[in-house]
Amino acid sequence: MASISSFAMPSEAPTYSFAAAQSASGQPRQHGFYPYTDNGGSTLGISGDSFTILAGDTRSTSGYNINTRYAPKLFKLGGSGPNHEGSKIVLSVVGFAADGNALQERLDTIVKMYKYQHGKDISVHACAQRLSHILYNKRFFPYYVHAILGGIDEEGKGALYSYDPVGSYEREQCRAAGAAASLIMPFLDNQVNLKNQYDPNSGPGLEKVQRVPKPLDRTTVEEIVRDAFTSAVERHIEVGDGLQMMIITKDGIEEVYTPLKQD
Amino acid sequence: MPGFDFSNHNRNIALHARGVPLPKATSTGTTIVGALYNGGVVIAADTRATSGPIVADKNCEKLHYISPQIWCAGAGTAADTEFTTALISSNLELHALSTGRKPRVVTVMTMLKQHLFRYQGHIGAYLVVAGCDPTGSHLFTVHAHGSTDKLPYVTMGSGSLAAMSVFETQWKRDMTRDEAVKLCADAIQAGIFNDLGSGSNVDVCVITPEKTELMRNYITPNQREKKMRDYKFARGTTAVLNEKIITKEEISKYVVVEDVTGEQAVGEKMEVDQ
Amino acid sequence: MDALVSRYSRPAFQNEGYSKEDQQQALQDVAPPLSLNFALPPVASAASWLRAMTDDHSNPNVPIKIAHGTTTLAFRFKGGIIVATDSRATAGNWIASQTVKKVIEINPMLLGTMAGGAADCQYWLAYLGMQCRLHELRQKRRISVAAASKILANLVYSYKGMGLSMGTMCAGVTPTEGPALYYIDSDGTRLAGNLFCVGSGQTFAYGVLDAEYKYELEDEEALELGRRSILAATHRDAYSGGYINLYHVKESGWVKHGFTDTNPVFWETKLKKGEFSNVTANLD
Repeated sequence: MASISSFAMPSEAPTYSFAAAQSASGQPRQHGFYPYTDNGGSTLGISGDSFTILAGDTRSTSGYNINTRYAPKLFKLGGSGPNHEGSKIVLSVVGFAADGNALQERLDTIVKMYKYQHGKDISVHACAQRLSHILYNKRFFPYYVHAILGGIDEEGKGALYSYDPVGSYEREQCRAAGAAASLIMPFLDNQVNLKNQYDPNSGPGLEKVQRVPKPLDRTTVEEIVRDAFTSAVERHIEVGDGLQMMIITKDGIEEVYTPLKQD
Repeated sequence: MPGFDFSNHNRNIALHARGVPLPKATSTGTTIVGALYNGGVVIAADTRATSGPIVADKNCEKLHYISPQIWCAGAGTAADTEFTTALISSNLELHALSTGRKPRVVTVMTMLKQHLFRYQGHIGAYLVVAGCDPTGSHLFTVHAHGSTDKLPYVTMGSGSLAAMSVFETQWKRDMTRDEAVKLCADAIQAGIFNDLGSGSNVDVCVITPEKTELMRNYITPNQREKKMRDYKFARGTTAVLNEKIITKEEISKYVVVEDVTGEQAVGEKMEVDQ
Repeated sequence: MDALVSRYSRPAFQNEGYSKEDQQQALQDVAPPLSLNFALPPVASAASWLRAMTDDHSNPNVPIKIAHGTTTLAFRFKGGIIVATDSRATAGNWIASQTVKKVIEINPMLLGTMAGGAADCQYWLAYLGMQCRLHELRQKRRISVAAASKILANLVYSYKGMGLSMGTMCAGVTPTEGPALYYIDSDGTRLAGNLFCVGSGQTFAYGVLDAEYKYELEDEEALELGRRSILAATHRDAYSGGYINLYHVKESGWVKHGFTDTNPVFWETKLKKGEFSNVTANLD
């Protein structure tokens, strides 16, 4: 939070702030209304030149229990019939599954109503902005979710948008969300955006040039996604069971499911 | 002063009240089990250690040595199970030396419960004690507050319910060694796959009056598959601000070599019987 | 008896699905409603409930961590207005993004900056852009910066105490006002001024800016000062960083001056100009 008003800011209050925490000290405040559960799991998305890949594990947890080993976090939006035939946009949600499902249903009807009323598919750009507004409409009673939206933009390029719980959004090359985001995102920064990688052949000191990220091809991205998840499964207890991947191209959505470790 | 140092206790309570999170101890969120059979006793454990939702160790050892014929499976705070069993093991050795008899499992159980009760549950050790002694094969559980149980089959830890469900459906009287090992391994696997706090491999320990057999990684159902890509970086990928090579000779200037002569060098000899 | 039964029995699925009409309407509307009715939690005090769920400052373990913005500055000078920001968004101690666009282009003449809740700023500045366009269409002339900033100030004031968190600056040039700069925050404060820094890194930016600022700066000097002030803030404030986003607002409208990575800029400033001598790469 930035320092813009009477309330104090995190910069003045690093992790161990005493001055500010004092107001909250004493007995813990009891709030009878707690409508959220963290269902764990992780999602990630990477966009390429002519495709976007979204992926998520299929485990749903609460506490140390596994609710189910197959609860998809990826949803096709729009299209026709129960299998969303002809759909070109995918929404992934991680966090509280009930909020995620409610959000998915809302956006799906909106995408379908758009087609019905305008006679053409909604663009990812418009869909992304609409999703932001849906999230912000619950600014004072938020959806407990981190959403990632993927599709193909009007130029035929891969498009990927990521959201915070109340609708702040941004178009990006790659994004990891959910329980293992802190494990996967640094890996993606390094491998996709080539952060902290310099050209080995460039000179010393200021002549050392950063490696320039360029759009990756589909097989590379698929391999990176797989490695990100098999590694997250090793070190995060809430991630596992199955990996669901959706590859969005101009021709439609390809869905791939591969098993992950179940422990 | 031997024992625990409480000098930071009041400070830490004050800090916690002001909202500072306490440091997280590595806990073995764990499934541990034990079962008696006809010729002895079997204990088993998973090998996952967690810190919150993060796996801290994928292949830790939760079966602890007490004496050659007595072993312990530990759940709860990793450091507490480690040090409590080591302490009791040490005291038991002294006890055996002074009595001149083979140690008994009840003795271990009693020493553990008295130690843990004194600390009112602050030592977070939850243990399954098993072993064979001149009075027969025995199996106990000891909880952190000091209560104990004596049963033919036991489970503990976050995966205890999953493991107990296997025992309650498949356990029978007078099992053979192989049956007991299989049952315990199955119970641990139920914990590994259905409890998020447990995972990775199965360790088993079979104790008979004649010998003890520790089967480390008896089953490994969760081997990591090969990564798809190679993540080797070309030399020079990392930017470097400055370089300095330190030679062995330069290090040696920090090392002081002192010659010790005469009686000091030998040290006092320990007094032992004969 | 039959009358009684019929009175107390209902059709089997009467309450299934969406019961409220407005809820159904909301789903059928393709464009979001202009009237701003937000969903509220079913509790007595919505604001304190929201704080308990989202205020990661008073409680680091809240379930929902909202992305926050950080260092922004803007100042008026001879050649117009310089607007500069960093690009980091944090959620608690987690760096949520290093590529946030914290300068929001309201229209070709008007810029807004974002600090505080990222979603709040994004949403309400987009809303402000819409209101500015409506003003243009209705009044047949471009809105003044004073009026635009007041629309925003009045808007956030109406939500005072509900938990909005934003600290924004509106910068623009109009024929009537010339270059104008306003500061608006979620408390309802609205100030006109020559120089503002907003966000958790504001003090560090002020330190550089106040030392070097004068109204008579040349364009290049002013741009460099903006860049250097943000660099100082990203260097000392952990919640600021990423890229430097630079804008120059002139009479002809705003001009963008790049989205530059701070890291090479920092090393260039240090090694070529000899500043930041507190940082050393010596191994002795």
